[in-house]
Amino acid sequence: MLKKRVWVSLFLATLLLITACSNGGESGETPERTTAGGNNESAGNGLKPAKLKIVLYGEESPRMKELAKAEFKDIVKKEINADIEFQFIPWTEYGGGKTDLMLSTGEDFATYTDTNYMVKSVAKGLYADLTPFMGTAAEDMIKTVDENSFKAFQLGGKQFAVPVGNKPNSGEFYSVLVRQDLLEEVGMNSVSTLAELEQFYDKVHAAHPELIGYASTDARRMLMYEYTDKNLYWQNDFLAIDESADNDQIMSWFESEEFKAYSGLMRGWYEKGIIPKYAATNTPQLQSDWNSGKAMFWAGTAARPFEGAATISQAVPGAKLTNYFLSKDLPKISRGTYSTAWFVSANAADPERYVMFFNLLQKNQELYDLFAYGILDKDYTLDENGRLTRNTTDSLIPDWLLMNKNFIRFDKSVPDDFIAQYKAWDDEAIISKGAGFNFDNTPVKNEETKINGVFSEFLAPIASGFLDYEENFPRALEKLKAAGFDAYIAEYQKQFSEWYAAK
Amino acid sequence: MATNQENRTLIVTFYFCIGLFALVCLAPFVLAVSGSLSTEARLAAEGYSFLPRGFSLDTYKFMFDSKADQIFQAYLTSVVVTMLGTACAVLVTTAYAYVITVKGFRYRNFFAFLAYFTMLFSGGTLPWYILSTKYYHLDDTLAGLFVPYLLNVFLMYLQANYFKSIPHEIIESAQIDGAGHFRIFFRIMLPLGQVGLVTISLFYALQFWNDFYLSLMLISDEKLYTIQYMMYFMMANIQYLASGNSAQIGGAVIAPPLETAKMAMTCLTVLPIAVLYPFLQRYFVRGIIVGSVKG
Repeated sequence: MLKKRVWVSLFLATLLLITACSNGGESGETPERTTAGGNNESAGNGLKPAKLKIVLYGEESPRMKELAKAEFKDIVKKEINADIEFQFIPWTEYGGGKTDLMLSTGEDFATYTDTNYMVKSVAKGLYADLTPFMGTAAEDMIKTVDENSFKAFQLGGKQFAVPVGNKPNSGEFYSVLVRQDLLEEVGMNSVSTLAELEQFYDKVHAAHPELIGYASTDARRMLMYEYTDKNLYWQNDFLAIDESADNDQIMSWFESEEFKAYSGLMRGWYEKGIIPKYAATNTPQLQSDWNSGKAMFWAGTAARPFEGAATISQAVPGAKLTNYFLSKDLPKISRGTYSTAWFVSANAADPERYVMFFNLLQKNQELYDLFAYGILDKDYTLDENGRLTRNTTDSLIPDWLLMNKNFIRFDKSVPDDFIAQYKAWDDEAIISKGAGFNFDNTPVKNEETKINGVFSEFLAPIASGFLDYEENFPRALEKLKAAGFDAYIAEYQKQFSEWYAAK
Repeated sequence: MATNQENRTLIVTFYFCIGLFALVCLAPFVLAVSGSLSTEARLAAEGYSFLPRGFSLDTYKFMFDSKADQIFQAYLTSVVVTMLGTACAVLVTTAYAYVITVKGFRYRNFFAFLAYFTMLFSGGTLPWYILSTKYYHLDDTLAGLFVPYLLNVFLMYLQANYFKSIPHEIIESAQIDGAGHFRIFFRIMLPLGQVGLVTISLFYALQFWNDFYLSLMLISDEKLYTIQYMMYFMMANIQYLASGNSAQIGGAVIAPPLETAKMAMTCLTVLPIAVLYPFLQRYFVRGIIVGSVKG
């Protein structure tokens, strides 16, 4: 009797384990199903079938799920004979976490990157060199994506990531994005100086004491025209270059007179309450406040007036956003017009096919519409002027990612003059003289880690105005020097000068 | 009489303190429920409150319209993983604990050391990931959601200590009567080590229910998402987008999920446990008391 029971329980346990494993096996059925969707005979100009895995960050919307299994899959199969799979993972895994694990274990996939992550990963040999495929596989996007964007993702003359997007983005965060509805409410029309911006704050604060002023802790760019005559462009938190000077000089931002002047302005803002007191301990709250319409201004970009309006108008239906530059008399600087760039993992079986897919995304209006907006008359409609009305709020392949000024469609709420202004945004801009330079941090890795620690502990609070410059800066500088900052900047200057001379 | 009076005062004080503490614990949950029943516009403008602002069921309607299947599927996966995982983990853990406890098994110290060693040193995430995906092929399988956690060394030692407290003479007499290891394990050790079993089952069940790490690392097929992973996914996105890191990827404005949707998701994750727990708790308490009296 007992033996029987023992055997029965063991049998049950084994059965459970087997069912568990086989269930999982069934769930990986996607590859088999794909043969039904594609037509191999007409597919991809006689290319061999290939499998592509695209990792995207954020949540997959229900509509994206449907399209990824149907129309997107079919069109990719038809155009380049590849079975495409989209995998969504949380944003926290961007540039590290699971992405690093997938790269290190040699998985076959592609996703997007920034230049910092690219430099680190290329040093470890984790990205595929895409140079050989650029001429053939990327021929359409070379026409629709700016040439300088490609250069930004080259290392040693090799293309390690393919830029995506082409949008006017010079002077990123150099303008003040003002709540125009509040501005008009207090009887003002525009803002063109720091004094006017503060006047705007005072008036709105008197009418709406519950609102905060500035929804961030970093205003070094938007206030730049006020505290210096130089045209500064930051390479990172510590280093800047002067775009108005024709040299390869790297400037130590924190040790400059400009930083002293800037931190004085920020201290004033903090004391006055333009930056709320809780910002020191709860910075993320600032963006939530902005999104829920509880702030007066933010740092602007060319696209923020319409990108950001959608979020704010959920809380404040009448919200209008406008960009203003304070005392600007220098050209705007652009880092390149890309949104981000795709890389392909070093172990990918067919990197060329990945490049062909990236090319599809920016190939022509028809494909752009499909990937960004879905199916005409089902997911969106167009009026006679080509204005877009979306029937679903679900995002597909994220539109911030694809945004290309050659193809982008605006909805009816965006005024014509804004569109004209948006398209002309980059007209007087200059490309940064540092665009395309990527610092190899390997020789000063330890120093970099240490100075980053000093930055968050000692320097950021001074830069944001939470602490007084005169009282606290000498100690912070001492810590910065002790962390090896001189060696770091020397290495940076050396690499930059070599690169600049070669350019 | 005076003692009774003192007791009563003490009890009233205790009840008051416990009641206060319970209220403090309950407050965030009430805020979440009230937030999920508010309208987005008023919540954004006026902030959270204990009573819903502009009562509305729209958020739940929206969640169930767009995500009902996924939420249901995730619940199912979580329940299956918790039950299956706990059953398998308890079997593996008690078996290991038995092996390192039983006298006369020549290599028991070696096996005890093997387990102990992993408490002090581990290979790290990368080797673990390679082992799980390249050798055991646990990625995108249901097994991947519990097999890596089948043996928790701390709980194994806990169980081993319960086994050690059982007098060896009982085992010896069973052996003299002709019982083998299977019979001793299932008929003597497990029933006598019941207290331990209840404790480790509870720990395992909580671990499997609350886990999102295995889903994050090994699962890409959303049919196998657990409810905790869905929750983590949403929160991780919000955390990242709010931290300002998104400026790295070109200053894009990526709209975070709505406040009300966050709260509704929290309620949907927590509610079933909150509803079930008072009923389950009875069994846990009884199990522990029965064991302690016998022990």
